[in-house]
Amino acid sequence: MSLFSLLSVSGSGMSAQRARAQLLVENLANAETTRTPQGGPYRRKDAVFAAEPAPSPFASVFEAETGAAGTGVRVAEVIEDTREPEKKYLPGHPDADAEGYVAFPRINPAEDMVDLMSAARGYEANVAAIVAVKDMINRSIDLLR
Amino acid sequence: MTEGVAGRLEHYMDLLSLRQKLVASNIANADTPGYKTRDIDFQREFRNRIAGTAPAVEEVSGLEVKQDGNNVSMDREARLLAENTMRFNLAANLARIELRTVRSAIEEGRSG
Repeated sequence: MSLFSLLSVSGSGMSAQRARAQLLVENLANAETTRTPQGGPYRRKDAVFAAEPAPSPFASVFEAETGAAGTGVRVAEVIEDTREPEKKYLPGHPDADAEGYVAFPRINPAEDMVDLMSAARGYEANVAAIVAVKDMINRSIDLLR
Repeated sequence: MTEGVAGRLEHYMDLLSLRQKLVASNIANADTPGYKTRDIDFQREFRNRIAGTAPAVEEVSGLEVKQDGNNVSMDREARLLAENTMRFNLAANLARIELRTVRSAIEEGRSG
């Protein structure tokens, strides 16, 4: 088992958390967006993660067979909020319906901020793992000196 | 002559890197629904390793399962991450001392 393949495991964790953070930031930016290309107000997005064998070009077949291979992570799907949009009475708004109500995205900034913090912590944890592994690799290389 | 100690150190470091890989996987999947923490029984696998059998990876029991079925404990993984690195550094230092002994034996023989 190679220490180098560990880097791709933590790397997949970093990219998955970054993708999630991107969606959360998008949610915050669009908290009051009433128009989207699909029509209707913006809908809250979130990422669902799934475990998968680490994408390492040098991973040996043996490791995959014995289940000793590292398990990376990927964004399996991006889910959209299916809750009804929030209606606000704004008769002067250009997107108001016949009764004067405007459909706003149902986004709670607190919810997104908490998730964003969790994504940032997850990212940091993966970086810490990479630093630890890098240290181990350097120690192994030092054996040759 | 070095077979004994150096060979065991090699097994030890090999097993530590496997464990580190599982820790990295657990950290990467800390937010994956339904993912279960994986680890090895280090003592048992080290003995098996010397005997020549492949290590068995198993799910860790007794961890708190979150609402999405995930049971990764960040505290546990952070501790293991640090512990594995320190153990590995120790083993690497021991291996270097071992190699230095051999080297000095070779060099002393040459000068004499």
